[in-house]
Amino acid sequence: MTVTRRDFLKQSVVVSTAAATVGLPVGELAEAVTQSVESGWRWDRGVCRFCGVGCGLQIATHKGKIVATKADADAQVNRGLNCVKGYFNGKIPYGHDRLTKPLLRMKNGRFDKRGDFVEVSWERAFDEMEKQFKRYHKELGPTGVGFFASGQHTVQEGYAAVKLFKAGFRTNNLDPNARHCMASAVAAFMQTFGIDEPAGNYDDIEHTDTMVLWGANMAEMHPVLWTRVTDRRLSSPNTRIVNLTTISNRSSDIADLEIIFKPSTDLAIMNYLAREIVKRDAVNWDFVNKHCAFATGPSDIGYGMRGADKYDYEAEKDTNGKELTMQLDAAEATGQGKQAGETVEQKNRASAGKHWLISFEDFKKGVEPYTLDFVAELAKGDADESLEDFKAKLKQLADLYIEKNRKVVSFWTMGFNQHQRGTWVNEQAYMVHLLLGKQAMPGNGAFSLTGQPSACGTAREVGTFSHRLPADMVVDNAEHRTHSEHIWNLPPKTLNPKIGSHFTKLLRDLEDGQLKWAWIQVCNPFQDTANANHWIHAAREKDNFIVVSDVYPGISTKVADLVLPSAIIFEKWGGYGNAERRTQLWREQIPPPGMARSDIWQIIEFSKRFKLKEVWGEQKIPGLKTEGFEDGKLPDLLSGSGYSPDATLYDVLFATETNRKFKWPDAIAKGHDNHTATLLGDHWFPEKALFEEYAQFGRGHAHDLADFDMYFRDDVRGLKWPVVNGKETHWRFNEAYDPYVKKGSGFDFYGPAGKSLPSGDLNGVTTQEKTNIAGKAKIFFRPYAAPAEQPDKNYDLWLSTGRVLEHWHSGTMTRRVRELHWAVPAAQIFMHPDDAKARGLKQNATAWIESRRGKIKATVETKGRNRPAKGMVFVPWFDEGVFINKLTLDATCPISKQTDFKKCAVKIYKA
Amino acid sequence: MNQHSGSRFIQTMAGIVLLLAGPVVASAAPPIKADSMGLSKSSVFSVPEPKAYDYPATQPGASKVLPRAYKDAPPQVPHSIDEFQPITAQMNMCAACHGQPALWGQKLEKGTPTPIPPSHYTDLRNAPGKVTQNLIGARYNCNQCHVPQTNAPALVKNTF
Repeated sequence: MTVTRRDFLKQSVVVSTAAATVGLPVGELAEAVTQSVESGWRWDRGVCRFCGVGCGLQIATHKGKIVATKADADAQVNRGLNCVKGYFNGKIPYGHDRLTKPLLRMKNGRFDKRGDFVEVSWERAFDEMEKQFKRYHKELGPTGVGFFASGQHTVQEGYAAVKLFKAGFRTNNLDPNARHCMASAVAAFMQTFGIDEPAGNYDDIEHTDTMVLWGANMAEMHPVLWTRVTDRRLSSPNTRIVNLTTISNRSSDIADLEIIFKPSTDLAIMNYLAREIVKRDAVNWDFVNKHCAFATGPSDIGYGMRGADKYDYEAEKDTNGKELTMQLDAAEATGQGKQAGETVEQKNRASAGKHWLISFEDFKKGVEPYTLDFVAELAKGDADESLEDFKAKLKQLADLYIEKNRKVVSFWTMGFNQHQRGTWVNEQAYMVHLLLGKQAMPGNGAFSLTGQPSACGTAREVGTFSHRLPADMVVDNAEHRTHSEHIWNLPPKTLNPKIGSHFTKLLRDLEDGQLKWAWIQVCNPFQDTANANHWIHAAREKDNFIVVSDVYPGISTKVADLVLPSAIIFEKWGGYGNAERRTQLWREQIPPPGMARSDIWQIIEFSKRFKLKEVWGEQKIPGLKTEGFEDGKLPDLLSGSGYSPDATLYDVLFATETNRKFKWPDAIAKGHDNHTATLLGDHWFPEKALFEEYAQFGRGHAHDLADFDMYFRDDVRGLKWPVVNGKETHWRFNEAYDPYVKKGSGFDFYGPAGKSLPSGDLNGVTTQEKTNIAGKAKIFFRPYAAPAEQPDKNYDLWLSTGRVLEHWHSGTMTRRVRELHWAVPAAQIFMHPDDAKARGLKQNATAWIESRRGKIKATVETKGRNRPAKGMVFVPWFDEGVFINKLTLDATCPISKQTDFKKCAVKIYKA
Repeated sequence: MNQHSGSRFIQTMAGIVLLLAGPVVASAAPPIKADSMGLSKSSVFSVPEPKAYDYPATQPGASKVLPRAYKDAPPQVPHSIDEFQPITAQMNMCAACHGQPALWGQKLEKGTPTPIPPSHYTDLRNAPGKVTQNLIGARYNCNQCHVPQTNAPALVKNTF
């Protein structure tokens, strides 16, 4: 086999470095080769493409290609370590089937939904995209078009998308895949603290002596944080780790205590802890009196499903019907102080988030039923474990939390967030920490971890959710709209006050025919959304036009009408924000291949095709009913706007006079290119200009970002906001660290949202008069609620889904790296050996797995890294060939609208 | 832009064929069927037949060291690890064999485990530059970076 020069050089380096690493003598020749090769390499820092940890990288490029990456030893997050995925960042741009040209479905030279994909120019692609947009926009108004955004969008891409859709097209039908991953965390932050994102930071790991994992398999999902957790555990003998999970997993292997519970009973375990804290007189009254208020809300809030719907499959009608009325089982009745068998009409489906203040006495009454006996009986998740052992474990858990001088950090991710009561269970974590006064201080705190690399930085902080504007503002608040219109230099009432469709609803809208034009960037909604059979059929069979921007073909590109080739992370400028509020920016390292272009270029370039007169006239918005607006309408903005009706959205939103002052080229580039700036022309630097414009929203509002250039300083590896006077904030709400805290208060939960509330008891509001609780956090009572769908005689197993260490999300990048693919080539059904045996299935046998919504085949794994108890199976979702989301239930938390991917009922049988 | 590593012979032949064909004319690429795209070459509505893959059965010491993917890439595990999992706080079977600082700088006999290198005995967070005698906790979960490889065929070529 012939080896190219590049391969030869790489191999030579491998030999010499391998030798150097293990301390072997290195031949002079090899050393010389190493130096001569490396002398031509350009090293620059970057950020890992994958999870929410946000590890720093060093990237070596040579002649326009990445030749190596290493973990950045100076990055505080990861100190010279990556996980196996992270080490293969350098390979992800180079899969042989990179999308490098726009592809349009055509027949006989014209667009045809039934046609095959034909390579076209960008001009032709945008022509069709524009034509179809204008057609459906005319038919349905702004509500008929939508955008699927992403927690993997860069900060600037997300910001450009928000501005184009919310300000330009005046639609709030823009929602990120982060809805599937972080929405419950967001809702709980807003309800509890009045402001989004964690108080603490990753240094909590080194400061604490107890770490409790609730539905967070950190060993696989946050591997580099797990290295820190493990290091803490092994180097400090008093440290304890508890893993609360529905499936025994790798995190259990390092844990001191593993608690296997039944799906959704985390709600009950939390209330047991609260009851214990009260019973043992362990409430930190000094903290609670000064800094907290008690609250609750309605429990008849539905399950985020559509309810009985004409599109339901016959088999799913029974589950979906529970959306409207639910018959309470014994445990749920006890936990909610109701009668078993009672049928509860779900009256508060549309007002699930409302809540009111209650007294401590009412709170105490709420948690009273959650005795050790009740909770242990309900929650024990492993039939092979004795009730007494399980009780002892729960008691041990309570002991660890309550021990006076013990610091505790609770971590969670998808187990809590992807939950039919996701907002509630997030709030319960704060409940426990606030009652104990163990919150917002080094080594003490409830810490919501993030899944995606910029779920925080982009989806949450920029606000690419259908209800949000930047810096925690929301579209249904008149002041927030006015403030945004002011910063964006828009006429009053440009912004649409009606909340748009959330991610799953956008797909339901596609099936209903309410949404007919959609653009998807940096995500794979047709693979990652539950109950997928509905949506893939809607995409292919209904009257609509779907545009997918991606780097590789996947399920969403396969159902698209137009595919746009995107630049991958290293081929563009950008920034991510991780789970500890750390914003990190990077330069373009290599040029995109072929005709691939950055997503931000695609957004801005597309905006050139719209004149104000086409989108800023009067618009119909079905269902809009807001003070100051005519029902069902957005006003005409064209007269008196100060803009010419012939101005384009590019002029008005992006290449503004201010933004054009940020010139490209810029010295901060240090010789790196910017294909976006070059292609747009006009000599401006969009990623810098839009970052600075966006930063105006947060500065002075406790979301302060530093200057763009500061993030590129040699001594900076990202900064945790708020960055005030050049100083980052390590712990929020704590006077010792956070400049926004009122002097002399000690702690100040200063988030402004939801601080003026009526009062009542566990059953509802009794006094409409509002009380102001500024500066306080809320301690919520939230009861146990049973999942909408549970195993029965026919569908007799629980199904939970999730990720594996080696693959990222839908696998489009990592499965194209052979080392990662070889490590985990296919998704399997992880199940208990006895459950397999009972179905005549052996290790590696092929089985059908079927729910009310669909069925697929996969092979059986009975001795893998995930070890479910009897009655539970786990299937990862990265594998497009094992399309597990055809089976999952699209029930969501009714408050956060985040899907519960962790529980539905399936049956498994021999194929 | 992409440099594909392939046979020079084929590249040369391709050049000749191109020359013989006369001036290169940009011709339209044939239409692409959606079902032929992606990693599962099938319709999104179909149910592909799954395959099971095996991890190596080779015992430690009997296998060859696998080539590294690039400079400093973590080496893959060339042998079976079935008997050595899980790694727990009390027991790390990987380190039991590979944790051999005495072998640093030695020429390794065939069958000798590759010693965990000095970098893994250096606490990069608290004491960078100082090589200790103990495996650092942050490096304790070997399988976070070092993974065994199955016999699955690569799905697509990667030109890194």
